[in-house]
Amino acid sequence: MTSIQEHKQKHKIETPNEKQNRHKAMEAIKVLNTLKEGFKEPPKAMSYFYDLFEEVYCHQKALHTDKVKVGTMCIQIPSEIIYALDGVPIRLCNGFYTDDEIGSDLLPQKACPLVKASVGHLSSKNLTDKPDMIYSPTTCDQKTKAGTLISSFGYDVVDVDFPRTKESEISREFFRRSIRDFSVDLSHKMGRKLTKKNLRASISKIGYAQSLYHRLSEFRKSKIVPILGNDMFIVTNAFFFDKLDNWIEATEKLVQELEQRVKENLHVAGKVSPRIVYTGSPPIFPNYKIPLIIEDSDAIIVADETCSSNRMFNDRVAVDEWFVNDMIDSLADKYLKACTCPVFSKNDDRIRRIIELVRSHNADGVIYQAFAGCTVYELEQRSVLEAMEKEGISILYIESDYSPSQHGQLSTRVEAFVESLKIKNRNRK
Amino acid sequence: MKSKLKRIINNMNLARVRFSIQLISFALFVYGGYFAIYLGSKLPIFACPYNGKSAGACFLIPLQHQLSMPAQILLGGAGIAVIFGILTFLFWFIFLNKAWCGYVCPFGTFQDWLTYLRKSIGIRYSTYTQHQFEKLSKIKYILLAIVVLVPLLIGVGALGGEWGAAFCQICPARIISPTFSGDFSQWTIDFSTKTSMVLTAIGMVFAGLFLIGSFVKKRFFCFFCPMSALHYIFSKFSFVQLRKDGSKCTRCGDCYAVCDMQIKDIADDVVSTEILRDDCILCLKCVAACPEDDALHFDIFKLKAFSSTKEGFEKRMGIAKPKGDAHDKHTRA
Repeated sequence: MTSIQEHKQKHKIETPNEKQNRHKAMEAIKVLNTLKEGFKEPPKAMSYFYDLFEEVYCHQKALHTDKVKVGTMCIQIPSEIIYALDGVPIRLCNGFYTDDEIGSDLLPQKACPLVKASVGHLSSKNLTDKPDMIYSPTTCDQKTKAGTLISSFGYDVVDVDFPRTKESEISREFFRRSIRDFSVDLSHKMGRKLTKKNLRASISKIGYAQSLYHRLSEFRKSKIVPILGNDMFIVTNAFFFDKLDNWIEATEKLVQELEQRVKENLHVAGKVSPRIVYTGSPPIFPNYKIPLIIEDSDAIIVADETCSSNRMFNDRVAVDEWFVNDMIDSLADKYLKACTCPVFSKNDDRIRRIIELVRSHNADGVIYQAFAGCTVYELEQRSVLEAMEKEGISILYIESDYSPSQHGQLSTRVEAFVESLKIKNRNRK
Repeated sequence: MKSKLKRIINNMNLARVRFSIQLISFALFVYGGYFAIYLGSKLPIFACPYNGKSAGACFLIPLQHQLSMPAQILLGGAGIAVIFGILTFLFWFIFLNKAWCGYVCPFGTFQDWLTYLRKSIGIRYSTYTQHQFEKLSKIKYILLAIVVLVPLLIGVGALGGEWGAAFCQICPARIISPTFSGDFSQWTIDFSTKTSMVLTAIGMVFAGLFLIGSFVKKRFFCFFCPMSALHYIFSKFSFVQLRKDGSKCTRCGDCYAVCDMQIKDIADDVVSTEILRDDCILCLKCVAACPEDDALHFDIFKLKAFSSTKEGFEKRMGIAKPKGDAHDKHTRA
């Protein structure tokens, strides 16, 4: 009898949630350690971000215990409106293989790992900052259907209508209406009114955060690149869930440190390291599989065209008269018209953006990653490849998922591409 | 030095600069007469000589007058006068292109002031739907046709003399402009002939519509202005142009959001370099509201005189470091 009790005490059986946490912590710490130790001197200001991820993903620290948390399934929900109403936007896009595996039981085998991971995470109900409500813009098929599935787990999920074309005037009006409805709904739930003052302050604050991102991007245009692309992904990923004021403060410090680094000619890559523009399915922590392989293969990511980074910060809101509805309309236009998500019927904007990034950042090539199962990125691959070929820009297309298994094969392909860029550069000289 | 000056210009508070220029121009073209200033009658703006104190006159007046001469005279020596008139008009026009509308025209400025009034009361502006826009946008060409064809018909004898200056009779500027110098005499219907009665009555209706319209809709009249249509015919010859670099445009729609004239191409057209459209008043608000470096620029000859920049955008939109809320600070174990 006593021996059994002793036995019980010694071998505490791990609950599924504990197991999930442990696995996720392992995934997270592996990437964080690689970033901290695997590369030449990360900026000191990065330690804020590394610690943040460690606390949230390894120690399950909740950041927003005192606020209403508004979950968003995609970037098309204006965070400006959420902040104005005193909520905290939490972007639910997920990059954990552990959660992807949980989600695999709920979604088709060939579904997108990002959607599976998001659904898996929410189905486990094991969230540090559990959203009080979720807004799901009807972007791609999988995200759209995922919203309904998630609501069956007991979350309050509201669909936010999102058009699949953006050229027409109808789509503009449609999304303006949609965002108006969203703000009415949220304002009702928050018991607060959207006012000229709070919305304007919030637009200005997000605008400031965006300007910090733009300053970071500016550094990456020059020959001396003081920050790795992977570190940039960490910074922009932190914006998904961090406290805005803290994020701003930490990023300001990073900007200052990078200024100093540029003065000291501190380049984080090699002299001949090819400069890469990264595009495609979004790298979301800790799924930095491809970005890490790229920067491990002696290349440096100088810019990206993804919704977890550039697309979140690039476009700004301008208003002629600061009335609430004008601000909402302008927000809606920004989130629709400037969006380069491949869900749209036509997407010349995305191609133009990639070309512009290559030109402005003096990039040597483009790496286009699509998650296996992320149909829209897979579908758009051909047209982007054709356009790049026409422009004489080298591009590599890779399909990957969240599993840790294909590392060898992927790194061989990336290394070969990087090598070919180096040879090209050498011949040019 | 050059780059420093450029930065100052690109960072300027356009709204304030424009307000000042408009104020000076308004004083000049409404009250300039008090100072014996007269810049001729071939001006590309609605400086209305029915207001005796204007420092110049709208080109549409001599144009209508000259074209209404008997056909034989017009085809004879008088034709030269018409051509000379157009050349003088062009001389003025090429310096500012459509910025005459956005910066100088007193009638345009007056609409902007009505806009300020509405804004200060807290009423939101109205807009046209795309469908309405496309239909209504053609009206200015119809009015321009009235300006040109009615006098010619008088010249060949198809219409009587009471049709003279037909456009002026229906033009709201004729009625409203003199009011600024205390002359209310144009607020009447002319009962001398049936035609005058109809035309001046239409004028009164237009003046009323003008006041209501420009209160609820930004630059309401400019959309229908025949002068604007005339400008557009010659706008390519001007030294100053509005240009766009489509490769830098993300179509975020900021320029469209601030455009008084609801010109959609400014945001959506990423192919054309010459982006000045017929409804444009070259107020440059779009350039000021564009957050991309050099995507939109106002050029004098080929030189970028005022370009969109990230920095300028942030300044003008009041994007600044937020004041820290101490209670919100993240405390770390």
